[in-house]
Amino acid sequence: MYLYDDIDRAMLEDRAAEFRAQSQRRLAGEITEEQFKPLRLMNGLYLQLHAYMLRIAIPYGTLDPAQLRKLAHVARTYDRGYGHFTTRTNLQLHWIKLRDAPTILEELAEVGLHAIQTSGNCIRNLTADPHAGAAADEVDDPRIWAEVIRQWSTFHPEFSFLPRKFKIAVTGAPTDRAAIRIYDVGLRLKRDADGALAFEVRVGGGLGRLPHLGPVVNPDLPARHLLSYLQAILRVYNRHGRRDNIHKARIKVLVASLGAEEFARQVEEEWNKTDKAAVDIPDTELARIRGMFQPGGFETRPARSAAFEAARAADPRLARFARRNLTAHKIPGYALVAVSLKEPGETPGDATSEQMELVADLAERYSLNEARVTYEQNLLLPHVKLDDIPAVFAALDGAGLATPNIGLVSDIIACPGLDYCALANTRSINIAQAIARRFEDPATAERVGELKIKISGCINACGHHHVGHIGILGVDKKGEEFYQLTLGGADGDDAALGQVLGPALPSERVSGAVDQIVEAYLAERHDGERFIDTFRRTGLTPFKEAVYADADQTR
Amino acid sequence: MKALTANRLYDGEAVFWKSGAWVERFADAELFGAEETAEAAQSSAAAEITRVVDPYLIDVIEADGGPAPLSYRERLRALGPTNKPGHGKQAAGGADVARLAHAHGSARSTGRVNLIRRK
Repeated sequence: MYLYDDIDRAMLEDRAAEFRAQSQRRLAGEITEEQFKPLRLMNGLYLQLHAYMLRIAIPYGTLDPAQLRKLAHVARTYDRGYGHFTTRTNLQLHWIKLRDAPTILEELAEVGLHAIQTSGNCIRNLTADPHAGAAADEVDDPRIWAEVIRQWSTFHPEFSFLPRKFKIAVTGAPTDRAAIRIYDVGLRLKRDADGALAFEVRVGGGLGRLPHLGPVVNPDLPARHLLSYLQAILRVYNRHGRRDNIHKARIKVLVASLGAEEFARQVEEEWNKTDKAAVDIPDTELARIRGMFQPGGFETRPARSAAFEAARAADPRLARFARRNLTAHKIPGYALVAVSLKEPGETPGDATSEQMELVADLAERYSLNEARVTYEQNLLLPHVKLDDIPAVFAALDGAGLATPNIGLVSDIIACPGLDYCALANTRSINIAQAIARRFEDPATAERVGELKIKISGCINACGHHHVGHIGILGVDKKGEEFYQLTLGGADGDDAALGQVLGPALPSERVSGAVDQIVEAYLAERHDGERFIDTFRRTGLTPFKEAVYADADQTR
Repeated sequence: MKALTANRLYDGEAVFWKSGAWVERFADAELFGAEETAEAAQSSAAAEITRVVDPYLIDVIEADGGPAPLSYRERLRALGPTNKPGHGKQAAGGADVARLAHAHGSARSTGRVNLIRRK
């Protein structure tokens, strides 16, 4: 894990002190809301329906136990004892008071946490493959490079007032577990033809009103030139991005209008003019950062654990948990353990302070002091010995964190929606809860197999609905909550944007419609087909018939 | 009918105007029958920059024998999040909360839409 040095720590302390002065001036009426709003947003503080919301950055989704305990403490002391993990791997606290916010930032700074780069038209907090450092297929640890970009981009004067926000995701493996195609810049580490470390660079992905999957603009960028090349991308964007129209200001619109080839040419032209050595990270600094991500503490262990195998054979619930929530580790005798924040009936992505503390304890005791946040709104213990799986399962199970549903129909992504968010048209959480309850029997969910449902309460698409196998978008029809369903979206290596199923449905029809879609899939599927495979073979027709055959039917 | 609402500056709580003061319960809000008095209250409220953020007028209807915000969004602000019945104003319970929770009526929050347009 990256450890903050004196410069980082001083920066965070200064930042908290600065925000204390700014908010005091606002409370005293010395500055107006119009003047204050951009300042509070630069510190992740939004005003929502019931209170302020603080969005805390979790860079590349990696937390140590002290940080997770601090988040639990802040949620308990200044909020209502819970927090909401988002698709950007941030933590949102929904009941924050402005007068407490500077103290919260001071507390977070004590453990190297902050809310910088969580709002505004800057380079935002980075996301990365949650399996980083543990995945067998990894070429290099993406967090090293995400940390390099973090240090370079934080308070970067040239890129603090971009035409619009700018999000970067990094994956270190051929398999995309970081949804890099829906990012402004998506980076995939690889080896080039000579075996040297390189990036495949995608630019111009994004969801929202105008969804795009990012095209490759450079298939083989030498890794050492990452920062100078990013600078060239951002300079082209800063120069030509549509500042005149907020709906067209994201880089995806520029890339789409120029075409990926022409955009790449302009970036190349800008890059060739750049003094690369002045921008690129020096080898010594890269080595320093790399050193902090070297895994320590792994033991040499047999690939099989007799204790785990015996426990699994004796306990069908542990066996199911192991089938759904474990992933093979690159080190023999270890596994990645997914901690589900999707217990049916609960709010997707929510964790109580007690749950955060439990995961912190487990990370400390069983996972080499690391926990991860995934963009699918779950947590992860990346380095657990197989021998310890039964104990970890028992602890998680006792806290409602062991639902065996990773990647299944009840592992739903949902934005906070109208229950909290000032931008939302409709609620999302209630829809997720209704669907998850229909499929709460784990055997049923497992029989249905991989099925990713993603729900957004407005077109801004925080819930990634465009790339859900089943996407659900809340729309406001004369003040009533309606939901538009799309099918066939995906966000990994086979990324695709979903196709609209038919007219929007009233809220009470949505979970029933999902049930009808699942029934249609089970009737249509061939052996071994996932939902998405069946959809790609059949297209919309059988699903449309299932949902709209009887237009008056309400379930 | 109209009511005047805003978020309180120091904690973000949804509040309602009542004769020059801000109250937390919608049931205590002052209701305006006439457009002019509502707008006059809004102008006074707009000057209170150390007390509230972005005051705006909302439409109010009669529902089950009492007033309720017309738009679902505003009823939700007056109650709290539906996923956590113990959080927000709804936690206090009582007849007024029950009535708001059961009120129907559907329209966009016009005051809010105007506020967004103005920005």
